[in-house]
Amino acid sequence: MDNNKTTFEKLTLDLSHHIRINKGFLVWMGFLTVALCVCLYAYGLQLKQGLGVAGIRDYVSWGIYLSNFVFFVASSLIGMLISAVLGLIGVKWITPLVRIAETIAVAFAAVAGLVIISDMGRPERLAYVFIYGRVQSPILWDVTVVTTYLVLSILLLFLPMIADIAILRKKAQLLPAWLRPIYNVLSLNYADTPEQNRIIHRSIRTLSIILIPAALSIHTVTSWLFAFTTRPGWDSTIFGPYFVSGAFVAGCAAVIIAMYFFRSSYKLQDYIQDLHFDRMGKVLVLMCLIYLYFNINEYLVPAFKLKKADALHLHELFSGGEALMFWLVQLGGLVLPIILLIFSWFRRPLPMMLISIAVIVGAWFKRYLIVIPTQEHPFLPIQHVPANFMVYSPTLVESLITIAPFILVLMIITIISKFFPVIPIYETAKERGIEPFNSDK
Amino acid sequence: MRFRNLLLFIFIICWASLMRTSAQQWVVPDDQKGKVAPFMFSPDLQKQGEGIYTKNCVSCHGMPGKDNWVKQLSPPPGDLAMVKAQKQSDGELFYRITTGKAPMPEFRNILSEDERWWVISFLRTFNPKYVQPNPAGKGVFTGKVVKLQMTYDSVQKKVKVFATELTKERTMVASEGIGIMLFVKRYFGNMQLGDPKTTGKQGLVLFDFPTDLPGDKEGKVELICRVNDASGSISSSPVTSTYAIGVPTNKPGLTETRAWWSTRDKAPVWIILAYTISVIVVWSIIISIVISVIGIRKLNRT
Ligand code: HEC
Repeated sequence: MDNNKTTFEKLTLDLSHHIRINKGFLVWMGFLTVALCVCLYAYGLQLKQGLGVAGIRDYVSWGIYLSNFVFFVASSLIGMLISAVLGLIGVKWITPLVRIAETIAVAFAAVAGLVIISDMGRPERLAYVFIYGRVQSPILWDVTVVTTYLVLSILLLFLPMIADIAILRKKAQLLPAWLRPIYNVLSLNYADTPEQNRIIHRSIRTLSIILIPAALSIHTVTSWLFAFTTRPGWDSTIFGPYFVSGAFVAGCAAVIIAMYFFRSSYKLQDYIQDLHFDRMGKVLVLMCLIYLYFNINEYLVPAFKLKKADALHLHELFSGGEALMFWLVQLGGLVLPIILLIFSWFRRPLPMMLISIAVIVGAWFKRYLIVIPTQEHPFLPIQHVPANFMVYSPTLVESLITIAPFILVLMIITIISKFFPVIPIYETAKERGIEPFNSDK
Repeated sequence: MRFRNLLLFIFIICWASLMRTSAQQWVVPDDQKGKVAPFMFSPDLQKQGEGIYTKNCVSCHGMPGKDNWVKQLSPPPGDLAMVKAQKQSDGELFYRITTGKAPMPEFRNILSEDERWWVISFLRTFNPKYVQPNPAGKGVFTGKVVKLQMTYDSVQKKVKVFATELTKERTMVASEGIGIMLFVKRYFGNMQLGDPKTTGKQGLVLFDFPTDLPGDKEGKVELICRVNDASGSISSSPVTSTYAIGVPTNKPGLTETRAWWSTRDKAPVWIILAYTISVIVVWSIIISIVISVIGIRKLNRT
């Protein structure tokens, strides 16, 4: 079975050759670091001078900080869809995508908490949320579930990776020297023994099962931050599923974009194949259709009754000040992608990546449209306020602070993908009929 | 040619905006300067004025004469007992309170005209040299000065209001023909009881008190009576008293029971349980999984 051995050698090499620090990595990280410093400077300004440096005022007190938070929580949900739902059902083609999805989940969930802090005027009082927090408040639930989801996602990223770490540890020549000690510790002496496998498999199964309600609750609770108030545009009973389905749309798009760039920059064409893009394209269409269905419900039902406050809000969206953004988001970020992705020609890597970018940009602005117009139209307008309280426009400082989390996400994803194999070696080998720990047999 | 037009245009814009900033002074129109109060200031009104002042103005201006106004504001609000404010006419003060100027809010719709005059009457008590000009339109105040007294007649179960007026000889006599209104204080404002009534020869009116009006735990209700005077020809102040004549009601306040909206120690039990149990269950599973996974280090022999 020498043949098997060489195939395995090649496979391991293919899937691990990107684990090293090269010039590209340094340039990319350098660029991100510089950009992050600029954003941190903006945050420093906000810390020093207060939230007034942002465009948020008494009316729109959340602004793009909170739309950004919703977007980050949303994007992190994809880990649950791919690794837990599809994984538990036993879908096979997702093998090379699971780790990508889980990495995205970890990165976005880890940063989501920081996004919320950017909206706090006195971040040093963060601990008060716990010291004085009320169990009745969705804010406390949100903090709890986001933390839990983050820990679950980290575990679900790590556990399936133990085998890969052990494989690469044995082939130490494939690893940069500085990484070897880390691999030694993280491999946990894994040697593919039945007992070890039993524990790992059982743990992964249990974690996947808890991940589903945890993920559903993080986004449902995030939607409750809005839906628990009676304001037009938020006062909705379907806000939970509406947010969750929207989250899958954003997450799928994020995974497709990541797939595209990993595939081309790490030369993984043999592993992330056109077939995977095609399948992910179908998943994205399905998610978009579900989200479209919720959108129709969410807008048509109040639009049919046109209660006074809703009428004002909907008018603002459909034909008023926000109309351009609204229709670009709905048509360009949802309807058009659905139409295009129905044709298999568009479910090829490059067109899909471009469509996914449109979807994800649309998803971000959709969160803007959920948060801001409602805040601009309170039931009881505040008296005698300056004009700039009523119309919101984000400032440069605020925009930079909003960009920072994206930079952090890119950094986390880059670092994880430079330390560990992006595609599971162990599973891929098994699927190709090779015994990774006994490949010479 | 075009370009020169543009330059000219820009220049005009800059100049106009410059003019605007220098026109930011707070000018009182001439026809407003001479405006005077429609009534004489009295200790009663000054007291009312003080109440309104402490609610609406202290936050910026501080108490007059104490020099404790908010120094961070720009332009500075200043102490209203100082010469700068006191040398202005009543009309000027009235105009400034009515219109406001950022950051000072306009009180046009917040305080009634009378209330604004009361505040001025209060501010003038800090100016010993101040002499009030004759009230508007009427020369000297010629109306009645009326005083009300309220009692509850527990035998007849009626609220009795007794009006007296000040005669030229400075004695108080029963006042006939005075319109009186009775109110009871509720959570969000005063509720009128019955229709306004007019005092008879003895200066008396009687109001029926409903038998089913909820009071507090001890049945206490706060009643307010005042003169019903649209013409402004009567000077009087409302009278407030509390009687234990309502139906005792002991409904716990909305925040006294366990509820979603209460404080943390009044959280509904089921939420506390649901939250704590799910957190404990999920995190014990997570911790036990972490422990067992770390444990595989010792299981590497087949
Ligand atoms: C939000 C703070 C604020 C509140 C509340 C406020 N003021 Fe003022 N007030 C100011 C400021 C600031 C100025 C100075 C404005 C200027 O000179 O342009 C001012 C000016 C004045 C002036 C003119 C003073 C002068 O020297 O010319 C008067 C009179 C006055 N306020 C009365 C009142 C009264 C009466 C109230 C309550 C009913 C009140 N203000 C409430 C901030 C406030």
